[in-house]
Amino acid sequence: MKIYVCCKQVPDVAMTIQIKDGKFISEGMNYVLNAYDASCVEEALVLKEKYGAEVTLVLIGDEAGKEALRKGLAMGADNAFHISDPALNNLGSQAAAKVLQAFFKGRDFDFILTGKQAQDSDMGLAGGILSGLLNLPYVTNAVGLDVQDKMIVVKRQGDEGVEVLHMPMPSLITCSNDMNDPRIPSLKGIMASKKKPMEQVSLTDLGLSADEVLKESQKSSLKSFGLPPARKAGAKIEGDAQTLVATLMEKLTKEAKVL
Amino acid sequence: MNFELTEDQKMIRDMVRDFARKHVAPGVLERDQNGTFPRDLINQLGELGLMGMVYPEEYGGSAADTVSYALAIEELARYDASLAITVASHTSLGTGHLAMYGSDELKKKYLPDMVSGKRLAGWGLTETGSGSDASGMKTTAILDGDHWVINGSKIFITQGTEGEVFVILANTDKAKGAKGVSAFLLEKGMPGFSHGPKMHKLGLRSSDTAELVFENVRVPKSHLIGHKDLGFIQSMKVLEGGRIGIGALAVGIARGSLEDSVQYVQQRSQFGGPIANQQALRFMLADMWVQLEASRDLVLRAAVLKDAGKPYNKEAAMAKLYSSEAAMKICHQGIQLHGGYGYMEEYHVERYYRDVKLCEIGEGTSEIQRMVIARELLKA
Ligand SMILES: Cc1cc2nc3c(=O)[nH]c(=O)nc-3n(C[C@H](O)[C@H](O)[C@H](O)COP(=O)(O)OP(=O)(O)OC[C@H]3O[C@@H](n4cnc5c(N)ncnc54)[C@H](O)[C@@H]3O)c2cc1C
Repeated sequence: MKIYVCCKQVPDVAMTIQIKDGKFISEGMNYVLNAYDASCVEEALVLKEKYGAEVTLVLIGDEAGKEALRKGLAMGADNAFHISDPALNNLGSQAAAKVLQAFFKGRDFDFILTGKQAQDSDMGLAGGILSGLLNLPYVTNAVGLDVQDKMIVVKRQGDEGVEVLHMPMPSLITCSNDMNDPRIPSLKGIMASKKKPMEQVSLTDLGLSADEVLKESQKSSLKSFGLPPARKAGAKIEGDAQTLVATLMEKLTKEAKVL
Repeated sequence: MNFELTEDQKMIRDMVRDFARKHVAPGVLERDQNGTFPRDLINQLGELGLMGMVYPEEYGGSAADTVSYALAIEELARYDASLAITVASHTSLGTGHLAMYGSDELKKKYLPDMVSGKRLAGWGLTETGSGSDASGMKTTAILDGDHWVINGSKIFITQGTEGEVFVILANTDKAKGAKGVSAFLLEKGMPGFSHGPKMHKLGLRSSDTAELVFENVRVPKSHLIGHKDLGFIQSMKVLEGGRIGIGALAVGIARGSLEDSVQYVQQRSQFGGPIANQQALRFMLADMWVQLEASRDLVLRAAVLKDAGKPYNKEAAMAKLYSSEAAMKICHQGIQLHGGYGYMEEYHVERYYRDVKLCEIGEGTSEIQRMVIARELLKA
């Protein structure tokens, strides 16, 4: 089996995010493997251990992206492609999918996994657009994967409950981070990851021009960032039980109008 | 001069941090309160390759450098110093002594299981009558045919009850004092080899400290580690490396106290606003941070020298001395910043304060470190 996992490096959400004049301040940020993608890698590795498979990572990004790829390799993926070009910074979902389409052209695979969204932009578009461009069957929000009789058995979290779908190979599946708890790479994995192949791919290698990418990027792009408004302080009611209940009733009926 | 960690070092640090947050932090209070030895966590650390990370691949290690090792100990100590001292003493003392001086035969037989964490190692130098002056030990080893016969006892031995493989120091030529001490490998279960109960301690309560007793323990001749009568010199070398680990332990504990305090002062409100607004406390925090960073730099400098194969004796002593004393102050301030809450067990800072004291005592007290440093300074 040949499994591709498309990944992205995202700012470490455990750190404080800083935004200035509508722009995200990337200085001093740590970049990590997108949590949803980490779940894809984990699931691919479980399938590899069960049935045997080659797990290949693909990432579009700058130098920081390499660290995310190394994390995936340290977890146990076999090899990686790092698509990198100055024109590929701050890529919109449409453009990312276009670049990946070019990457997958002529490649053989059984399925492509990708996170259902990235932790930084939470767009959740690239996977869907890519499946359209590659003309692949597509399922979203997977919470479980298996392979039976050459079909991919996908458990997906629907609105009403978990649905089980049988998908042909090849397909594209976007995954939830509820699917598993990604393994922590072992020290041996970290040491071995240095020796695993990580191939650099440029736009020219993909037969794309910077202009083409820019045009695609404008179809969906991020205009500005803003922090959510600070939460207003709550009201504290004080007094004996009688006053408390009376004031609360008053507030619920007159101010909040919920009663 | 370069203060950047390599990509490997960062990955290893992040991996241990990830593990510590997910698996070590939960349950640390209960383990401390009940003195529960975390065998399951040690198994997990073994699987991750962290029970003997610096040793060669042929024995199951990853040949990681000392910098990575120090970072790993700091990350573990950040959440659980008891676990960190267990890993550090297992790695650098018992396992370290065997790895550095043992015969190929002994290493092949014992190291793989130690490096994987399957069998924990202990190291016995200290006796009731000989601590700082370890050369005054009373334990003896006398050759009888194909065996060494060992008699005596050791005190305060980490992994004393849980350990399965021990390196212990004994007199092989009493007349020669420190120059008549040799190291031996003992296994749990050898007839005549027993241990006392787990000792009750101020801190590091879920680490395992006990007395070892040797009553005519017959140890095969091949279990002599390295050359006869060189055990004391070997021990000094083993301790030199161990001090980097104790320094890292102090840094990790102090970081816990600082991080918790930074969070607390922003949440705790008095006199109409967060106490973080009080300049007196801000200055305290600033001092804590400076001391923490200086400590870490000293520890990593000693580690860098060791990795480069350069002498690092005084640097390791300085790192251990400074970081443990700085950590004492930081942990002391940590409680102060928490007020009464800091005195209560739930807030961790009282545990850091109890745990960190060991750093000024184990593997050579602060006074002994000062002796080492002054000796280097004043040597011709
Ligand atoms: C939790 C814990 C774990 C330990 N684990 C191990 C272990 O695994 N293996 C092991 O072998 N040992 C272990 N030890 C023992 C530890 O290394 C010794 O306690 C330490 O070396 C000090 O020896 P001592 O306790 O005999 O104190 P002493 O040597 O009696 O010291 C008492 C005081 O006198 C000071 N002092 C002594 N000599 C001088 C001098 N010349 N000049 C100035 N001051 C001096 C000391 O600094 C100290 O302040 C452990 C101890 C503890 C508490």
